[in-house]
Amino acid sequence: MASVAKTGAEALRNAPFRVGKKQIFLPNHVITFVRPLPKQPPNLATFIVPLEFNKLDLRDYLYHVYNVEVTGVRSFVNQRMHEQRHGDVGNWRRPKSQKMMIAELAKPFVWPKPPAEDAREAFDYAMWKKQKTAQEQDTKFQGIRAQGEVVPPSQFEVTKDRKAIKARQSKFLSGEETWAPGKVNAFLNSKIVPVEEGWSEVEENLPLDESAEAAAEESSSKSSETRQ
Amino acid sequence: MASPAALRPSMGAIMQTCRSAATAPKVAVAVPVRALSTSAALLKRHKYPTARVTRDNSKQRGESALRKSGTRWKLSVSDEPLPEPVPREELPPIQVDENHGLWDFFYDRETVAMAPLEHTKHGRAWTVSELRKKSWDDLHRLWWVCVKERNRIATANWERTKSELGFGLAEANERDRNVKQTMRGIKHVLTERFYAWEDAVKLAEQDPEIDLSNPENPYTPSTFLEAEETAEGAEASEAQSTTEIDPTTIPSSKSQAEAPRV
Repeated sequence: MASVAKTGAEALRNAPFRVGKKQIFLPNHVITFVRPLPKQPPNLATFIVPLEFNKLDLRDYLYHVYNVEVTGVRSFVNQRMHEQRHGDVGNWRRPKSQKMMIAELAKPFVWPKPPAEDAREAFDYAMWKKQKTAQEQDTKFQGIRAQGEVVPPSQFEVTKDRKAIKARQSKFLSGEETWAPGKVNAFLNSKIVPVEEGWSEVEENLPLDESAEAAAEESSSKSSETRQ
Repeated sequence: MASPAALRPSMGAIMQTCRSAATAPKVAVAVPVRALSTSAALLKRHKYPTARVTRDNSKQRGESALRKSGTRWKLSVSDEPLPEPVPREELPPIQVDENHGLWDFFYDRETVAMAPLEHTKHGRAWTVSELRKKSWDDLHRLWWVCVKERNRIATANWERTKSELGFGLAEANERDRNVKQTMRGIKHVLTERFYAWEDAVKLAEQDPEIDLSNPENPYTPSTFLEAEETAEGAEASEAQSTTEIDPTTIPSSKSQAEAPRV
């Protein structure tokens, strides 16, 4: 950490490059230090800088604000994709481009490796990952449905309760257990709880064949005659 | 058929650079010799004894150092072992200076971003009334502290999303908001002071006691003499007598109530 100077004038040190006479007061710029690409050597440091910055500005900035000496600076601008003002409607426009600069450092700097996925408890990585994958899947399905297509059921995530039901199904199919109406706690995979008392059958002894039906009709007509 | 012994300049140069490589050879690999469709052996189109000679007039056909094609013919140095560079994983680790300025972009030297629960542990922004008490240098120093904090927040945000660390964006935005409010306050105070200075300059131009053309001692207050004081006192008493209020002219409360409200 650089020590705080007593006055602003004292802060101006002898830079290893030519410094201009223009004083800049209260600059409102944000510089983001980004991770280098895997094969880049350790003397390269990449920054996202304002579009108005130039290489000399970055060299000056890094020296006076961070005390980092730089032997060279490379810059490039990343154009943004053109878009409509409101998603899919409105005038076409191209958002402001992004400028990146790569500074060639005098002293190398190596970024720490990102922590392993198990070690990201502090950021609640597990929940974040679940949320992210769910969001991505949702977007994907929305896209499919927007085209008028149907999302195949195999794409849907099989939840715990459905897995439990499937486990029970195998037992019924094999004949190990016989199904009967009642409450089943699929999660606990427990035995069937018998139906509540006071359950009343609406139609008992329903005839299932034609002769029985005819007999039933006759009996009903007889009963109706007697009523009349 | 070209003579294989003649070293072509291109191939010779490659051999030179390989030999002068500083790195120790890890694995010895000989320069491959590739048989092309126009190699001498395959070029014998007509196989009867008195056949005319067919040759590939392009002696360097297919040879490429960039694509590691190898030589067309076996050379005297073809079997010499060539040095291989050290694999990236086996390179010695680089010692980063503990006081490197770029560490100021990180909250944590291991994870770069701070855990969200720790990141929320910040105070409120500086109020304008607190900043008014601060000097020019102090305000500028605070501004740069805020600038570096915003850079740190931006770096953490980028790293958190790129490396998929997890949650923390909402907390970072709240922190950034407070930093920006402080910066806004600093600008407000300095603007206030500037306006006050501008007004003071305007007043000073009209003030007879101030001479702006003399930067060392512009304010020269006039001495207060006794004669002037008595004269002023008499004038004041006279003014008071003339401005005595006549009680009959004071309107009554009733008339005030009846009077139409304007």
